[in-house]
Amino acid sequence: MPLAKPMCKPKLISRKTLLKAGLALAAAPLLRYVPAYAAAAEVSEVAPGVFVHQGRYEVQSPDNRGDIANASFVVGSEAVAVIDTSGSAVMGRELRDAIRAVTTKPIRYVINTHMHPDHVLGNAAFKQDAPIFVGHYKLARALGTRADGYITANKQMLGEGAFAGSEIVLPTRLIKEPTTLDLGDRTLLLEPQATAHTDNDLIVTDTKTNTLFLGDLLFSVHVPTIDGSITGWLTLLNEMGKRQAARVVPGHGPKTMAWPEALEPEQRYLAAIADDVRRQIAEGKTLAEATKTAGFSEKDAWKLFDQYHVRNVTAAFAELEWE
Amino acid sequence: MPHSFNSIARSCGIAALVASMIVLGAPGAQADENVWPILKEQAFGDRPIQEEDGMVVLETPSKVEDAAIVPLTVRVPPSVKGKLKSLTLFIDQNPDPRVATLTFGPAAGTGGERSFSTRVRVDNFSHVRAVLETEDGSLHMTTKFLAAAGGCAAMQAKDPDADTADMGKTIVRTFPPAIESSPIWAAQVMIKHPNHNGMQLDINTAQFIPARFVKEMTVKRDGELVFQLDGTFSISTNPNFRFTFGRGEENDLDVVIVDTDGTVFTGQSRPKGS
Repeated sequence: MPLAKPMCKPKLISRKTLLKAGLALAAAPLLRYVPAYAAAAEVSEVAPGVFVHQGRYEVQSPDNRGDIANASFVVGSEAVAVIDTSGSAVMGRELRDAIRAVTTKPIRYVINTHMHPDHVLGNAAFKQDAPIFVGHYKLARALGTRADGYITANKQMLGEGAFAGSEIVLPTRLIKEPTTLDLGDRTLLLEPQATAHTDNDLIVTDTKTNTLFLGDLLFSVHVPTIDGSITGWLTLLNEMGKRQAARVVPGHGPKTMAWPEALEPEQRYLAAIADDVRRQIAEGKTLAEATKTAGFSEKDAWKLFDQYHVRNVTAAFAELEWE
Repeated sequence: MPHSFNSIARSCGIAALVASMIVLGAPGAQADENVWPILKEQAFGDRPIQEEDGMVVLETPSKVEDAAIVPLTVRVPPSVKGKLKSLTLFIDQNPDPRVATLTFGPAAGTGGERSFSTRVRVDNFSHVRAVLETEDGSLHMTTKFLAAAGGCAAMQAKDPDADTADMGKTIVRTFPPAIESSPIWAAQVMIKHPNHNGMQLDINTAQFIPARFVKEMTVKRDGELVFQLDGTFSISTNPNFRFTFGRGEENDLDVVIVDTDGTVFTGQSRPKGS
C-alpha cells in the first residue's frame, strides 16, 4: 500500500516502509475518526524533493478533520522543512507519517505561511521533532490574540475526537526580512509580506526547483478569504506576478499550478469586489446594502462562495470606506 | 473590566468561523428571556413598554456573516409624529447587553422617517432589542433574533498596526436628500478606534488587552444637539454610525467623541464649505 506518490524517482516500497505502515495502522484505533485506509496523508512529489498534500474544498468538519488546506514539505540532503501543517493534530500526524515514508532526515523547520487554523493546527504533531517553528514576524502576535477563539471554534467544528491534541504552537523564529534556511544542498528563501490575505503572510521559495509556495496569498477553486487588506492584496499580486517561478503551490487549490496564470482568477475576484464596493460607497450605500450585490458576478466561479463571499464584502467595505 | 479566564471562555462562546451554525428565523437553544426582565428593570424600572406596535422597526441581516461586524438599522416611520426622547439598543446575550443609548436633542428632527444604524458585535445567539421613548414619555420596543456567535472572540482588527497609525481619525459625511428642503437629512460618523472590550487574552503575554472603547459621542447641527450617544464595547471596531437629523440653516455638523481613556476626538462636516 503506497504511502506516498513519487513522481520523478520510482521508489520501491521497502520492508522498512511496510513495517512503518503497519505500525501506523496499528496506532489507528487511537485515532477514532481515521477510516481504514492508510494513516499517512496523500502527497505528490511536484518537483524533485518537493511534496504537496492537497486539502479538500470544504469547511472544517469531523469528517474531514480539518483537512481543508494544502500542506507541503521539502527534503534536503540534511534536513526537511514543513510548510503548513493542516487543520488538526491528527492531520499533522498524517503529514508527518507521509514525510517519514519518504525520508528519515530530521524535520528541522516547521514554517507556517500565516495564522489561519487550517494551516497551523497540525503544528502540535511535530513538537516531538523539536523543530524550529518559523513564521512572519507578526505571526506570534496574530496567533497569540486569536488562540482562544481559534481553539474554541475548531473544537466545535471538528468535534472532540478529530480535534484531540490540537493546540496553538507559536513560532520562535520570526522573519522580518528575506531569510534563507539551509536544508543541506538546498536553500529555502522566506519573504515576509505586507498585509494582504492577513497581516502575517510569509512566502517560501525552494530555490533548487524554483517552486514558489504562496500560502493563502493564492487561492484556486476555493473562494479567496479576506482577513487582512483587499487593497494590500491587490497591490501585492500585481508585484508578485512579475517575478519568475517554475511553478506555484497555492494555500488552497491544485498541488501545483502554472505561473503566473494561476493568479488571474483571484485577481479578477478581488477586483470585482473592490470595484463594486468602491462604487457603492461613493453612492452613499450602506454596508448592509453592499453585501447584497457586490462581487456577485463571481458567484459561479468559486467553491464555498456562499460560505465566505459576504464576509469578504463586509471586510472590504469596512476597509474601503476609509479611502 | 477584569474577568477571570473561565468566565471569558464561557461568555466568548463560539468563534465566528462556524458557518454551519447560522440559523434563519426561529430562536435557538439559548433561553434568554430571563436576562431581559433584569435589563428592563435596570433601564426602565417598572414603566410599561408597548411591544411591536409599529412605532419602531429593527432591521437585522437574515444571515450573520461576521459576528464582529453585524449591521443594525433602527427606523421610526414617518407616521410617528413629534420629537423622540431616547433610543436604547440591547443584545441580551452579550457580555455587556447594552449596545448604545441615544438621548435626542432639538436638532434631531421631525417630519419624516428617522433612523439610526451602526455595526455591533454579537457574542452568542441572542435577542436584539430597540426601545424607543417618544415625546409623551411612553416606551415602545421591537425585538429581533440574531443567530451568530463569537463576536467578542473575533473582534480583533485585521491590521492592528495600520489602525494604530490612524487611530482616532474621524470622518463625518452629510447626505443631503434628493429634495433639499426636506426636513430630515442623513449623516454618517465613522472613527478609527479598536473599541477593545478588555476580554481578549493574548497568550504571548498572558495579559488581557485592556478595554478601550468609545463611551460617548455628541452630535450637534449648527450648534444644537442632535443626540448624545452613550456606547459600549458591543459596538464594532471602527465605530460607524449613520443617522438622521433635522435640517437647519447651514447643516454644519460637529461631533465630539470621548473614549474610556478620556481621549477626545472630533470631526465635522460643512456641507456648504468654509
